[in-house]
Amino acid sequence: MGCRRVYLSGTLGRMLLWLSPEEWVVLGLSARVAFCCAVAVSIPGIACGWLLARTRFPGKSLVDALLHAPLVMPPVVTGYLLLVLLGRRGLFGQFLFNHFGMTFAFTWKAAVIASAVMAFPLMVRAVRIAIEMADPKLEAAARCLGASPLRTFLTITLPLARPGIITGLVLAFARSLGEFGATIVFAGNIQGETRTLPLAVYSYMQSSGGDAAALRLVLVSILLSLGALVVSEIMSRRYSHIERVVE
Amino acid sequence: MLQVTAELTRGAFQLQLDCRLSDSVTGIIGASGSGKTTLLHMVAGLVKPAAGRIVFDNDVLFDSASGLDVPTHRRRMGLVFQDCRLFPHLSVSENLAYGERLLPPKDRHFSQKTVIELLELESVLGHRPGQLSGGQAQRVALGRALLASPRVLLLDEPLASLDWRLKQQIMPFLRRVRDVTPIPMLYVSHDSKEILDLTDRIVVLESGKVVGAGPVMDIIQDPRVLQQLRLQGLVNILPLTVLSHDGAAGLTRLQLRTPVAGPCGEPLTVSGPRLGVTAGREIHATLRPEDIALGGSAITGVSIQNQIKGRVVRLIHSPDRDVCVVDVGISLVVEISPNGAKALGLEVGSPIWCLFKSSAIQYLDVSLS
Repeated sequence: MGCRRVYLSGTLGRMLLWLSPEEWVVLGLSARVAFCCAVAVSIPGIACGWLLARTRFPGKSLVDALLHAPLVMPPVVTGYLLLVLLGRRGLFGQFLFNHFGMTFAFTWKAAVIASAVMAFPLMVRAVRIAIEMADPKLEAAARCLGASPLRTFLTITLPLARPGIITGLVLAFARSLGEFGATIVFAGNIQGETRTLPLAVYSYMQSSGGDAAALRLVLVSILLSLGALVVSEIMSRRYSHIERVVE
Repeated sequence: MLQVTAELTRGAFQLQLDCRLSDSVTGIIGASGSGKTTLLHMVAGLVKPAAGRIVFDNDVLFDSASGLDVPTHRRRMGLVFQDCRLFPHLSVSENLAYGERLLPPKDRHFSQKTVIELLELESVLGHRPGQLSGGQAQRVALGRALLASPRVLLLDEPLASLDWRLKQQIMPFLRRVRDVTPIPMLYVSHDSKEILDLTDRIVVLESGKVVGAGPVMDIIQDPRVLQQLRLQGLVNILPLTVLSHDGAAGLTRLQLRTPVAGPCGEPLTVSGPRLGVTAGREIHATLRPEDIALGGSAITGVSIQNQIKGRVVRLIHSPDRDVCVVDVGISLVVEISPNGAKALGLEVGSPIWCLFKSSAIQYLDVSLS
């Protein structure tokens, strides 16, 4: 062990300087999956956030609980349920494959779906809080000035909720970068197709001589996570004057 | 003309309104919780009556019988809120343009330039609402509503959250809007002074019901109307023309003028050095009913500077104080004790002198104080 530690610290600088082509593929795939995840949760997340913040309907608390389920369920269970639903022989998966020739399981799209499902509650929560903080009185004022409900939403509610929406998107992006359990079950761990950062770290740790690569990717993960936090902080500061006035 | 018949129950509060509003400015007076704001919100479409009918110039906005309810954004009722409700993420000029942009050019009553000049907003156009003072914010809110070219301007206690000094700054703008624009206004306030400064046509609400509607001096005889007016700070508004100002002696001579007959009565004297008072200028001042004394003749040898001759046109008895309306060219409301009224032998038609100290006259235009 002692020998190994010396080896690690001695080459730390060199490891940081470059990534192998295989590791670049991992990084690129992770970025693509995380980006697609953020895009995928954006509009449904805003819609659900608005629904929970501004409307009352029967069964609202049930919908709320269902939306938050992925937060509390073991990720592996979520992945398993996705496989049952969207696998090629799954409830909907079979239909999609037979009629449209669409396959999700064990493709990079499955990694996007898995992380989007995991990230969705975070997005909805952030948007919901932001919309609840946007004063409905301002919406009433907009309608008195002749703005239709849709225009009011687009020009008043949405801009006022912007900090929350950005936070939600950054959270979804970061959650996707770290997603492991649901992804490995639903998308598998296929090099170049579904092997995202955490899966690659896991795989390198399992293989002999993969320590250096694992450590490099761990460092990259840490940098990306901190980067996401910084971006979210800058964004919320940029729009914080809006919240102050609304309060 | 705006015609509102509406019923609404909210918990213990019951609203039953029936009124026709056909004047250019109608003041709506009533205590908190009397239904003033609800009335405006029903006209704007923000509150739906349980039953009733709201019609503006043959255009039915709401009719419970036929199930018609024109949505707020199609009613074009300009509501100015007490709390301004400027959009914090937009600049002042974007706030002003918000409603205007939604209108086809042919429906626009005013140009931005006109409104910006009228409300003196040039210097704050680039500001964010958070950077504005209360008075500026209220002017922007008013301008924003005007630029949306509403068919009726609904003002919901626009000055209630402002201090006295700011109120005095906004009032001249409201008077200007009244005089310059053809848009009818409904002005809600729990301060009679603000309303009477703009109009003498009022609707008095009490616990969700209309207890009086019409020119103040015509409905003041109703004890409920009188009580509401007194609770909400009834004052006389004097239209005055400055005759001369002696800064060294601190004396200003003013002439009462009437809307139709022009100057009337003896000139009034107001003491105290005031800035910006130039001869010929037309101003407004308030005079509280309890600050006026009545006399059977002009009195000499007293310190009271102002004595105007008039004629009693109305006598209203109420349990604690009697109210006398005196025509001195304009109608002055005077409060006196029942004993005083008896001692003077007041009768409708009898000549009477109104006496008041010069300090009882309070200018309404802030630039004068």
